[in-house]
Amino acid sequence: MFSWKESGRIIVLLFVSSLILVPLSATVLGGFKTTGEMRVSPFGLPREWITEVYAEILADSSFWRYLWNSFLISILTVALTLIFGSMAAYAFAQAKFFGANFLYSYLLLGLMFPFAAAILPLFLTVRDLGILDTPWGVILPQVAFGLAFSVMFFRTFFAQMPDELFEAARVDGCGYIRFFFLFTLPLSTPILATIATFVFVQSWNNYLLPLIMLNDREGYTWTLGAMDYRGEYSWEWNRTLAFVSATLAPAVVFFLAAQKYIVAGLTGGAVKG
Amino acid sequence: MLAQNDIIAPSQTQFQRLFANGQLKMVLIFVPPAILVFTMFVILPMIQAGLFAPYKWSGYGPVPWALNEVTGKDFGRWVGSQNFERMLSHSAFKQAFINTLLVITVSIAIQIPIAMTMALMIYKSSRINTIFRLIFFLPYIMAEVATGLIFSFVLDGNYGLSKSFSDLMGWDKAFFPLAEKPWAFYCILGVIVWKYFGFHMMIFIAGLQSINSEVLEAAKIDGAKTLQTVFLIKLPLLWPSITISVFYAVLGGLQVFDLVMPMTAGGPSNSSHTLVSYLYMFGFIRLNIGYGSAVGVFLFVTGVAFAFLYRNTVQRGQS
Amino acid sequence: MAEVILNQVRKSYGAVEVIPDLSLVIPDGSFTVLVGPSGCGKSTLLRMIAGLEKTSAGQIIIDRENVTGAEPDKRGIAMVFQSYALYPHMSVRQNIGFALRLAKRPKPEIRQRVEEAAEILQLESLLDRKPRELSGGQRQRVAIGRAIVRNPKVFLFDEPLSNLDAALRTQMRVELAELHAKLDATMIYVTHDQVEAMTMADQIVIMKSGVIQQVGQPMELYNQPENPFVAGFIGSPKMNLLEGSLARDQNAAIVGVRPEHISISQESGEWHGKVRHAEHLGSDTVAYIDADDIGSVTVRLQGEVPMKTGSPIWMTPVKGNVHLFRPDGSVERV
Repeated sequence: MFSWKESGRIIVLLFVSSLILVPLSATVLGGFKTTGEMRVSPFGLPREWITEVYAEILADSSFWRYLWNSFLISILTVALTLIFGSMAAYAFAQAKFFGANFLYSYLLLGLMFPFAAAILPLFLTVRDLGILDTPWGVILPQVAFGLAFSVMFFRTFFAQMPDELFEAARVDGCGYIRFFFLFTLPLSTPILATIATFVFVQSWNNYLLPLIMLNDREGYTWTLGAMDYRGEYSWEWNRTLAFVSATLAPAVVFFLAAQKYIVAGLTGGAVKG
Repeated sequence: MLAQNDIIAPSQTQFQRLFANGQLKMVLIFVPPAILVFTMFVILPMIQAGLFAPYKWSGYGPVPWALNEVTGKDFGRWVGSQNFERMLSHSAFKQAFINTLLVITVSIAIQIPIAMTMALMIYKSSRINTIFRLIFFLPYIMAEVATGLIFSFVLDGNYGLSKSFSDLMGWDKAFFPLAEKPWAFYCILGVIVWKYFGFHMMIFIAGLQSINSEVLEAAKIDGAKTLQTVFLIKLPLLWPSITISVFYAVLGGLQVFDLVMPMTAGGPSNSSHTLVSYLYMFGFIRLNIGYGSAVGVFLFVTGVAFAFLYRNTVQRGQS
Repeated sequence: MAEVILNQVRKSYGAVEVIPDLSLVIPDGSFTVLVGPSGCGKSTLLRMIAGLEKTSAGQIIIDRENVTGAEPDKRGIAMVFQSYALYPHMSVRQNIGFALRLAKRPKPEIRQRVEEAAEILQLESLLDRKPRELSGGQRQRVAIGRAIVRNPKVFLFDEPLSNLDAALRTQMRVELAELHAKLDATMIYVTHDQVEAMTMADQIVIMKSGVIQQVGQPMELYNQPENPFVAGFIGSPKMNLLEGSLARDQNAAIVGVRPEHISISQESGEWHGKVRHAEHLGSDTVAYIDADDIGSVTVRLQGEVPMKTGSPIWMTPVKGNVHLFRPDGSVERV
């Protein structure tokens, strides 16, 4: 009776897993096949492992440039979001000042915003600032859109820190700003890591903003590069699949390393809201 | 000590506290960067979208109502509500709106139940469950563009799953679901479920794990069977997680774009657009800033109206 | 009302054996307390009786019926949990009636039985509240009401008072004892608190590392502990367990004397020592004395007894209350 239930459960789970893993493995394996073989057996193992396609992509300097651009944009987005977000959240959590609640609610507006709605005026703003076709044209809007949720998470976290700590530090003559850098930030590594992970993944995967803000191929992120590649080699699926696999690899490795923080972020969201 | 405190008026202490230990200095340094960036790149563009919507404007010149000294005319032309009227009567827009509603419906009616079922199956801590959790969550962290490219291969009539399918059915003509009108958007819907159910599953797992295990044991002693425990105990206790999940499903559903581009780019014949891909195609690509802004305002109003209503009805009373 | 028999039960998680081999009879109508330090397997044993943990080997018999493999709701038991485990989304009425609802009893019957249980526990005015609107003590009563309403043969309690404050705990202790008298049902109660065990039980089972150390009435355990562990576990302050030359001279591994079974004198006595510290509780005085060649000895004296730190003092154990724990495991009292 019990083992029937258990084996039924495992069968369902294996079935759902196969729905996820089969397309993914076909993608990775596709890069090792010839176009001809892909027609005959799209999902099976390659009859003959062809490494030229992968080798060609990995030797292609533009592939690495795409990755580098994405990386640069993501890292800078993470850094600015963490700095601006944690500072503002600290002020909201620690200090009582006129308009604090108003400003906090104002930032939280960003949580209920379909951000694509303002994409055209945003494009014009970025153009008028003269940062179109630079990483900043993507970074600054990303930071702005990430602020709402990061300020909310930071503030919840800071508010849970014991007041006694701040009071003790104040008695020892430590001011607000010094306390932030000496105590708050070092004690906040879990929440910093969680937010950094989320912001990084979102930036790394972003397509709409780079699509609108970046025209010059030199500055393309890998998502733009992948679409470009698909357009260029439309009937050579093995090339596109190899390209996608090569970009997925770092993402998956990163995910496995940071999954703890991603899960923590989702849990926090579920508890708070 | 006590006497001294009594002498100082409360308002005065508050005022002093503001300056104590550099509080005011801290606030003046820490708050403005976030507010500035947020205002500049989120709030102002949204306001501008509202201002640009009644104009026909290509985006050249400072603002549509500014005077162009060369031509002696404004950069843009005031068209009033025409942009909205055109939008609402455009069949591609109607389709995009229906499609967006479909995304939301499928997310709530199909994806969330799947996510809940999976969460109930693997929420307990064990090594096997951890592995399944990682697998089910994997699609969520993959870029939409990568997912879209993978599935345009899977659904390619000459190569992928749909070739295997048409071979199996013995059709001699290749079947391209992404190029067939009724099929294209259903494929996108399927991929949306594929990609995002793991996200909702994680929310539910977090919720399930926070249920006091003694409550479930009490139910067992009271004689509740597996399904009774699910429907009478677990689901009611998961209500906060479910409301959050639905909120994300709706707000995320309104913004689907990245998946559409690699899979269909809105085709065939504009049948698979979402609101955002429609906005991109008919506003950005054609540089119809006014028209695109009108679509943006529509999207904004829909999203904010939903968020506001939802928070004040369904989510009210939840802390 | 039923007798509970555990016959050579075992529990292991993989290679880890939590309960090696345990047999125990819990008589019909008794209030049996399982007590021991945390990790001794008492809660596991209770959960095995409840059917929440599988039994690795042996039989569990409730009211002459072998229930070893039965589902929890088919065992005729009810359980009160440490966290109360009330259903947060249900009113008090629904909480208490949940088991009857699942058993598909007719509505009027459910109503009547819920109200009966509520009356016993003085919960009538709270029936339509949600658990979060109740105080700790009220929640506790609802949890008990949920158990009563099922008319179980056996009540199981898993440290039910540990989340209450001290005053409320004393009050609930009395209420539980009264409830036991009123319902006349078999109750099995798990705690780590020996005071709860001594005050409520008519049978105490002392456990350590999954093994029963001694079973008996409270006074039996107090007066005739079978081993040093039981001797040290029951009673407060703890029994003096003295080793060394004093024990060797009497051919014992350990000599045990309760602090209240030692008299003191300024002039003469069996053991000599110096007062290290004294605690004055009003009703009692507890003195910690460094005895020559013996070590630290705790002495409890009635009333207020003046004691000066460092002053010399003589002690004499009361005759008939010295426990000699022999190396072969036997005990002699002299």
